[in-house]
Amino acid sequence: MDIEAVKDRAGPRQFGPNDDMPEEYRRAATRMIQFHANSEVMGGYLDKEFTRHAPSLDRKLANTAKVQDEIGHAQLLYRAAETLGVKTRDEMLAELQTGEGTFLNCFHYPVDSWYEAPMIDFFVDGGAMRRQATLKSTSWTPYAHAMDKVCFEEGFHVKHGESILRELMRGSKATQERTQETFEEWWPRILQFFGPTNDESTHNDFAQEVGLKTTSNDELRNSFLNMYIPKAEKYGLEIPEYPRVFERDDGTMAVREDDLDWEEFWTIAKNDFEGSHEQIGSRARRQEAVAWVRESLDSWERGAPGTPQAAD
Amino acid sequence: MSGSDDATDGDAERVADGGTTDETDAPAVASLDRGDLTPEGQVALEGLLFRLADDEFVHAERLTEWQIYAPTIESDLALANVAQDEFGHARLWYDLLQELGYSEEECIWRRPADDWTHATLVERPFADDGWGDVVVRTYLYDVAERIRLEALVDTSYAPLADRVGKALAEEEYHREHALSWLERLASDDEARGRLQAALDDLFPHALSLWYPGDHEAGIRTAGFRRESLASMREEWLDTVVPTLEGYGLVVPEPDEVTRPEARGRDGSHTDAWVDLREAFTATHREVDFDRPARLRGEEA
Repeated sequence: MDIEAVKDRAGPRQFGPNDDMPEEYRRAATRMIQFHANSEVMGGYLDKEFTRHAPSLDRKLANTAKVQDEIGHAQLLYRAAETLGVKTRDEMLAELQTGEGTFLNCFHYPVDSWYEAPMIDFFVDGGAMRRQATLKSTSWTPYAHAMDKVCFEEGFHVKHGESILRELMRGSKATQERTQETFEEWWPRILQFFGPTNDESTHNDFAQEVGLKTTSNDELRNSFLNMYIPKAEKYGLEIPEYPRVFERDDGTMAVREDDLDWEEFWTIAKNDFEGSHEQIGSRARRQEAVAWVRESLDSWERGAPGTPQAAD
Repeated sequence: MSGSDDATDGDAERVADGGTTDETDAPAVASLDRGDLTPEGQVALEGLLFRLADDEFVHAERLTEWQIYAPTIESDLALANVAQDEFGHARLWYDLLQELGYSEEECIWRRPADDWTHATLVERPFADDGWGDVVVRTYLYDVAERIRLEALVDTSYAPLADRVGKALAEEEYHREHALSWLERLASDDEARGRLQAALDDLFPHALSLWYPGDHEAGIRTAGFRRESLASMREEWLDTVVPTLEGYGLVVPEPDEVTRPEARGRDGSHTDAWVDLREAFTATHREVDFDRPARLRGEEA
């Protein structure tokens, strides 16, 4: 199939491993799914901190289940990416470790307090839900299938995140103030989660033309704002004055993008932010520390002395 | 909690085996409910439940440190399953304590460090490369867990009997998980060396699983547990020693190991416990909610 044929046929779940897809499509789809899978892994570096901080046994259990779900999503997504035949999972994981692999901007900011839990689990995950719901209609069928399961589980995460936020905002005045402060710190990052408006993004046009992506950054962010600003206010959070959010003629919300720090965003996109170094470094360090386990598994699978060959 | 620093393993066996001379006097299987407990019986039952709950909670708390850090995606998922089961078991036992009048705060969040009676095995910190420690620790623990749950199947306390089966069913998967890792790592020279180092380090702490607490005689008299700690310890040794030796590991002689100063069961612990408790209670102390959130019937 050539690119023109792909564009003609582009639609929800239109293509799969049995289709002869052009290189350009396979590379674009791999880039997108790999980014998504990497984000599940690196989101886990933040969320695992909350398991230790969780102030109730039930919350602790819900949190560790969430982290496990994220690793499960990464597993699914790397598998979906492998169906494109461009990279193996090991290659993609190696790229994540060396700093070549990219992932969502919000996961480049290390966390260390429970007040940050709802910022990730409610707002960031809520934003991710907006995007992932539209990806159920992506043109690469294995990716769409992965989204069915991911979206189902993310629904629970967002609900738990909302419950954490509600509890914090019903706490003491000091707790409410800390939560508000933390929200103000995270709010611009969350708005940038969706990336810049369409014309500034590098890969958007092509991804939309071939049906990998079905909704623009701008539409996704506005749909997030329409849904989450009322929720934030319902729990007593105040939306910061900057970045300015305004209502458009059609009644939907939008953000003044000039109020956001795009230099930081693009530094993050290159894995070159201070927090990027910290998070990727943490990944590299922890994975190298247990490289001996993977090596010994490899030698076991090859058939260590005294064990029968696995293939026999 | 009063320290029983003068207790020795000899005392353990005397208390455990000699505490009840005539077991036919003990109440029948699942014959007791909350209302049937004598004041002394309730204190002993609480001692038993705290040992169980604390072991599970602290073990799980340590295991979750490996989430996202495990060597492969598959091992990450599998260990997370184990950790969640253990938290779930901790919740079973803490729930029983809450039925006896404790709050979750009293059980976990506001409980002084030296009131906790878990074995020191489960509180030890992990090194970044300590996957061998994970494998050895979970194996030693899971075998002990099976033995101890089996000893509770015919407990006299009905609410406990109700819950033992669920925990036992899950422990079988945990043991298989630990054994399959032992098998794989032991077949590689370098990895076996790491298992051996972990075993040398952890075995003395694992023995603290079998130290008696203050309430051992009461636990036996009331039939909360039918078997003595000494015979459970023997069964444990009879299982783990040949298995580990079968994988080419050298198991320290139980009677010759240098016993750690901290006994665990009497509330004395290693420094690692103080740090761990400080870390997991930090948010609770800071936010000061009316009560810890309960999510049953929701997403937990």
